[in-house]
Amino acid sequence: MPERAALDHDDVLGRAFDRRLARRLWAAARAQRPMLYATVALFPAIALAELAQPYLLKVAIDDHILAGDWLGLSLTAAAYAATLGILYALRSLEAYLMALVGQRVTHDLREALFGHLLRLEAAYYDRNPVGRLMTRVLNDVEAVSEAFTSGLLAIAADVITLVGVVAIMLWMDWRLALVTFAIVPVLAAVAAYFRLRARDAYREARRRLAALNAFLQESLQGVTVIQLFARERHEHAIFRRLNDDYRRALFTSTVFEASLYSSVEALGAVALALLIWYGGGQIGAGALSFGALVAFIQYTNRFFLPIRDLGAKYTVMQAAMASAERIFGLLDRPPAIVSPATALAGGGALTSVNGGGALAIAGRSPAATTDGAAIANVDRPSRAAASQIEFAGVWFAYDGDAYVLRDCSFAVAAGEHVALVGPTGEGKSTCARLLVRAYDVTRGRVLVDGVDVREWDLVRLRRRVGTVFQDTVLFTGTVADNVALGADPDAAALRRALEAARARDFVEALPSGLDEPLGERGANLSHGQRQLLAIARALVYNPAILVLDEATSSVDPESEWRIREAMHRLLAGRTSITIAHRLSSVQHADRILVLHQGRVHEEGTHAALLRRGGLYARLWQLAMSRDAAG
Amino acid sequence: MPWTVKHAIDALARDGAAAALGGYVGLILALAAANGAARLGSRFAILGAGQRVEADLRDRLYAALQTFPPEFFARHSTGDLMTRASSDVSAVRSLVGFGAVSLVSTALAFGGALAAMLAVDPWLTLCAMAPMPILVLLARRFNVSLNERTQAMQEQLGTLSGRVQETLAGMAAIRAYTMEHRAAATFAAANRTLLERSVAVAAIQARFTPLMSLIAGVGVLVVIWVGGRDVASGRITLGDLVAFNGYLGYLAWPTVALGLTLSVVRRGLTSMERIQEIVTAARPAPGDAAPLGGPPSLAFERLTWGYPARGQALRDVTFAVAPGEMVAVVGPTGAGKSTLGLLLARLWEPPAGTVFVGGRDVTSLPLAPLRATVGWVPQEAFLFSRSIADNITLGRAGLDVVAAAQAANVAAEVSGFPDGYATVVGERGLTVSGGQRQRLALARALAGRPPILVLDDVFASVDAATEEAIVRALRDHRLTTLVMTHRLRVAQAADRVVVLDEGRLVEHGDHATLLAAGGLYARLWRRQQLEEEIARA
Repeated sequence: MPERAALDHDDVLGRAFDRRLARRLWAAARAQRPMLYATVALFPAIALAELAQPYLLKVAIDDHILAGDWLGLSLTAAAYAATLGILYALRSLEAYLMALVGQRVTHDLREALFGHLLRLEAAYYDRNPVGRLMTRVLNDVEAVSEAFTSGLLAIAADVITLVGVVAIMLWMDWRLALVTFAIVPVLAAVAAYFRLRARDAYREARRRLAALNAFLQESLQGVTVIQLFARERHEHAIFRRLNDDYRRALFTSTVFEASLYSSVEALGAVALALLIWYGGGQIGAGALSFGALVAFIQYTNRFFLPIRDLGAKYTVMQAAMASAERIFGLLDRPPAIVSPATALAGGGALTSVNGGGALAIAGRSPAATTDGAAIANVDRPSRAAASQIEFAGVWFAYDGDAYVLRDCSFAVAAGEHVALVGPTGEGKSTCARLLVRAYDVTRGRVLVDGVDVREWDLVRLRRRVGTVFQDTVLFTGTVADNVALGADPDAAALRRALEAARARDFVEALPSGLDEPLGERGANLSHGQRQLLAIARALVYNPAILVLDEATSSVDPESEWRIREAMHRLLAGRTSITIAHRLSSVQHADRILVLHQGRVHEEGTHAALLRRGGLYARLWQLAMSRDAAG
Repeated sequence: MPWTVKHAIDALARDGAAAALGGYVGLILALAAANGAARLGSRFAILGAGQRVEADLRDRLYAALQTFPPEFFARHSTGDLMTRASSDVSAVRSLVGFGAVSLVSTALAFGGALAAMLAVDPWLTLCAMAPMPILVLLARRFNVSLNERTQAMQEQLGTLSGRVQETLAGMAAIRAYTMEHRAAATFAAANRTLLERSVAVAAIQARFTPLMSLIAGVGVLVVIWVGGRDVASGRITLGDLVAFNGYLGYLAWPTVALGLTLSVVRRGLTSMERIQEIVTAARPAPGDAAPLGGPPSLAFERLTWGYPARGQALRDVTFAVAPGEMVAVVGPTGAGKSTLGLLLARLWEPPAGTVFVGGRDVTSLPLAPLRATVGWVPQEAFLFSRSIADNITLGRAGLDVVAAAQAANVAAEVSGFPDGYATVVGERGLTVSGGQRQRLALARALAGRPPILVLDDVFASVDAATEEAIVRALRDHRLTTLVMTHRLRVAQAADRVVVLDEGRLVEHGDHATLLAAGGLYARLWRRQQLEEEIARA
């Protein structure tokens, strides 16, 4: 059986069956229940057709072959042929239905998880690496769907077959049946021992695989660094060690698993020997027919197979339950930042991105699971009136009590252009994040248009504020897709935005222009070009408040000058906050706020701040002194 | 074993209650023990070999991935490569392990059982084997379509991983632009396609797998029907018939498992192709090396170069940097500044005879000494989830970590971290700011004491005071330095300035000369001056 690759650190296997989880899984498969029932309904029919075969063999031997009845033998053979045909049809249907159930459960759970992840707040992503979340969506979900196909359904099929075998053996000859069953306690004990050892070894192997994959993923992301410093051999040596650790752990688990299989097979042979020894005696005494003994030997085989495979199914169930635990753990983690129940509509239709959908997801149809995200698709309003912003006594820490903002207060009037400056790491970007509720304040309030952002509908709020980040994320798709971001502007509007962002020239120089595909890492666009696209993106987004977070740090001063020129018109009637290290790029702001030690240290126009001779003036002098020193 | 059973049954038929069964029973047990031991041994050997092959393959894949240039990673997403290194590699393990166990036991079962059956009765064997050719034909047809569908499914899984990775990594942008709907729709489409392709694979498997047991069952049917008459007519014994059935039983499981085995083999081979695709494209990996001897100089001579399927990034660029000189490269966005660094470090391959380090053509130099000579610091700083010290040394021995951190002006902040240089950064550790990242990347380059330093706009997230301190420290080192920058104050501090525009070198000279020349540089400079003057007013 192919094992799943795990990309995980926190891999803990627990029980193979957990009532609470099982109930949730059952709910998650609600849409697939008709098919589940249909599949289960096939099991008795399949068991019947399968168990009829040894019995027909017995009839053929005892009643026809030993009696020399050619016609009767032909009839029995015809019956045997019929069971074969029926069995084929039923098995095909069973296999198809099981696969369908499994794949649909996978599909639905993936959709639910992905939809839920889209709702979780930034702080969650800070704590959970992308690799781990990908494991949830890709691997854990497959493990869970195996709980249905290779786990529960297969166990149900086995149980039905076992019951049938036991019944028919007891019916044919109860003494001979009991002789066979004598093996069962030994079988159970041996299976339990190896199974436990195999499970522990398997758990260890998965842990090591997780470490291995985490290392690999990071190597891929940092491959250029490794190459530049010619550290390939060093990294390769670490990888080889992790790889070898994993292989050893995997082999240990293989040893126990193979021992399990082999010992069960050996016990099967013991059962056969017992049957011949005891059954042979019975035949000799005339108490048993040849045909019955032959049929018994076949039944014994069918009796042992499910018991042998129980270990494998146990492992599948265990992995599935562990995965289910993690999946539901994620689905149960409510988004910390959601729209309030009665959100301020902000002049449009009331929308909500509450996480309720995710909790109910367990078992909703695939269409329903996307609802949560679908409601985010509100129409882009035409230019909203300029908004005002206020930070009132804001305290904020990303972690514990390491406060980045300490009692930070300032206000930005409607239509005002404000710059946030200050030394690195003083919480300038944090202000931008708090404004759109990527994070919630620890203490104090952030207000937009006089209303606490926590009382705003999230989508409305985020539609009102457009942020241009320092690092531009480009998505798979064309240049046009990346600028429009799911809105549907006409080509002329796109061109206007690109023109305003001074990105039109280089975009038109691309082989396919606006339709040029961009890869995961925005192949072959320079850092600065990507920033220009990000600015065009913000212009298409058309927000009432524009936040430029180091948006032009990698644009050359000439382009920046031109962008600013174009933006001057575009910013008219909008509120804007510009965050920059480069003081030259903020001096045109209506007001400059100097952040220092988590609060506004100084504020005023460029000229006023210079006159004041405080922190800003010192920063400025420093910039100027480089001029003098040159 | 069926042979023993046959004799036991024949003995029973012959002697009735008087038959001496004890010997047969003992023989069965002995054979079972031998069989068990042999199976255990072969499983350890074959599955162990499968795991060794897996480890070896993953190792080679890793080695190959390390050698690819940026162009490769632009074409292959991390998600796609991770799928190859995890799912595909374990599919090959299953092929070599489970697949081989199954194939070998199938071959042995067919070979052994067939010989035993022929010994019992050739005619009956012929009848029982009659369905086999059909089976082989069906297997071939099945193989072809399963292969196609499996490959389509695996490709789609790669696409889906790519989507998920991209979305999760870009959540900040998605959140800011309320793109959740679009992300969900894109994902849903990819997810649905994956469902369709998986079900297409399942549909083939559902038709094929039970067919195998059907055909095995037909063999039993023929034996009962044809063989039954022979027993009745006394041509063979009942023991023969039972033994024959037993041998067919041996064939039944491998035959039924053939479907599973074939799909494992098919999947393994498909995966193997996907891995080979990467491994065979590998380039020789450079080893550790000392910097090149000779003067630490740089030169570009009539360099014209473009990214594949893009216009030319650099056109006829010629300039040199003398040992100990600091040259600044300035110019508008997209002028080709970063490309110079990429070609110097040979992350992209320049044409022969255009780029020189220490007077030698870089394309004729081995990669390792070249990269040890040119300390290139890229715009985007990448830190590994390791300690600060490991991030600076990257496993290189004998480096002065603290001195490097001091030169990059990050030492004070590092000593403020919880565990100093042992503090782990990254996804599972401390989050460092963009400016700290850039300075740590600079420290990493400085630690190796490269004779030549290439800084690609590395101070974008660093404030003026810090930048000032760093540049002063670097000038003290008198390294040969090429610095790409937007900030003309840095250019002013350099010995000479090269101005690029649309890939062409348009101006070249020291700050004063360029100002006097009144070209692009002078224009850029005046603009910056103008802003400062406006601001001062």
